[in-house]
Amino acid sequence: MNEAVETIGRDLGRMFQALAGLLFVSILIPIVWGEYYAIPALLVSGLIPFAIGYALSSRFRKATKPGKLHGMIIAALGWFCVAIFGSLPFVLIAWTVEFAPPILGEPSQTSTLAAFTNPLNALFESMSGFTGTGLTMTDNEEVLPRTLQWWRSFIEWVGGVGVIVLTTAILARPGSGSLTLYESEARSERIHPSIVSTVQTIWWIFILFTFVSILLLWVVGMPIWGAINHGMTGLATGGFSITDNSIATYDSAAIDFALLPIMLLGSIAFPVHYLILRGDLRNLYADLQTRWVFIYMGIGTALLTALVYVGDTYDSLFTAFRYGSFQFISAATCAGFQTAVDATNVALGRWPTQAQLTVSFGMLIGGAAGSTVGGIKLIRALTLLKGIRFRISDVFYPETAVRRLRINGRRLNEQEMRQEFEEAAIITALWLIFLGIGTFVLLLLLPQGEYTLENVLFEVASAQGNVGLSAGITGPESLPTLGKIMFLFNMWIGRLEIIPVLVLLRAGFRRGGLY
Amino acid sequence: MRINELPIVGELLESGAEDRIFDSLLLVGPLLILVIALVGRSVVTTGLAAAYVVFFVAYVLYRGIRH
Repeated sequence: MNEAVETIGRDLGRMFQALAGLLFVSILIPIVWGEYYAIPALLVSGLIPFAIGYALSSRFRKATKPGKLHGMIIAALGWFCVAIFGSLPFVLIAWTVEFAPPILGEPSQTSTLAAFTNPLNALFESMSGFTGTGLTMTDNEEVLPRTLQWWRSFIEWVGGVGVIVLTTAILARPGSGSLTLYESEARSERIHPSIVSTVQTIWWIFILFTFVSILLLWVVGMPIWGAINHGMTGLATGGFSITDNSIATYDSAAIDFALLPIMLLGSIAFPVHYLILRGDLRNLYADLQTRWVFIYMGIGTALLTALVYVGDTYDSLFTAFRYGSFQFISAATCAGFQTAVDATNVALGRWPTQAQLTVSFGMLIGGAAGSTVGGIKLIRALTLLKGIRFRISDVFYPETAVRRLRINGRRLNEQEMRQEFEEAAIITALWLIFLGIGTFVLLLLLPQGEYTLENVLFEVASAQGNVGLSAGITGPESLPTLGKIMFLFNMWIGRLEIIPVLVLLRAGFRRGGLY
Repeated sequence: MRINELPIVGELLESGAEDRIFDSLLLVGPLLILVIALVGRSVVTTGLAAAYVVFFVAYVLYRGIRH
């Protein structure tokens, strides 16, 4: 057997075992809520990845450590497979209810749940969850069984930090090549010298913040089940909701404003959280990305508030601020919660064009690298801006001048700057190329005249930026099958920052020396 | 017994900000949520939940000032 295949197989096996653990833990939910018909579906859903994972990891347990190529293939392939296995509860529970076996009670079928009898819809939901996107194939989340409401929130919560980070925290040991995998999952920052210790600290922070978020939401008036789910998906900046109209269902300014700090927490890098918890509050403004999280959100909020107020979308400045601040922060942190929906107010898809494009721009950039957000990330946007300024001002200096670029306290020489700038430019360019491809494909697929160009751009940016805000295109009926497949791809590449997926595709097409 | 020798939660607690107060908040959090789920909304549970959130924020600020 090829050495590379063994390494990839071993690490994929570990990921599948970690996923199986999540499924087995989730059996508590149908037990608590009395949804006993969901238990066999969860058991089967867990046993399949466990058996495959166990077989792979024990068969190849002596495989060598992963290199950079392996790491990227494991990340790309692993995330796709995890999305596939993660869709099993949706499919199996939907079919269990469809058949309604008398021995498991008589759960009632709904059109929302029935949509998951189509495996593509289930895969879409699972990919949307794990990638923290939040676009959904359900048309009324409230009627879903509690088990599936939980599973959607849980996979978003785990996906926010990362499946590999989860696997590393539980199963990896120091020196097992975890760093390569960690970096392949769009992460690079370390809190401790050891990567295993780093990911454990990330989980420590994430779990503590989750409790704080849940309790804060409950205090401001959200029912406890809603607070648990929205606390998890808000912090993970995923955006799945358990209510039909997302956060608009509660129609409460207090809940809207309580979610702002939760989403902002999710958009700040974990190492900065760690330093702040250690007492080093200076990082709130000293760290370049964190400083810009606040500046960027502040400017975006002010602009969007002005646009919807001046555009007469809302008749009072407070209402414009309430919806403008929530929707911009929800978009820029890539949470994707919605308060602007038809049921309570003016839907986002009917906001003025310039307001929709402002929200789209928010999605495009996203928050800080090393947090739970998607998008291009602030550090890349800042590197590009600083790099462009550096290049232009170059003309004004003599050729012999030695210049350095300062980014986030680091002084980069010419070569380092070139490297950072190139990486940021490549990812941004790829991001925009795939945004263009997605938009083109959707324009071909959707019925003529039903959606505007800004609606389509908005929806594709939302899928690829792992945001989840919708202009109304995504749905089990409204989005054609090919559109769903396109969005699956957009969500997948968006979460992994494109390159690992391209590496996997290249390896697949050219066999990449794997065998 | 060292903190990392505690069953189940030992490794997790050892990984944090190395502060007993934050570790305690981490342990108390799920219990408080469980109590709220069982008892529901009352003056006591609301007070406890509000105290948890306020204490967390206040303690972060306190650590910042002390630092």
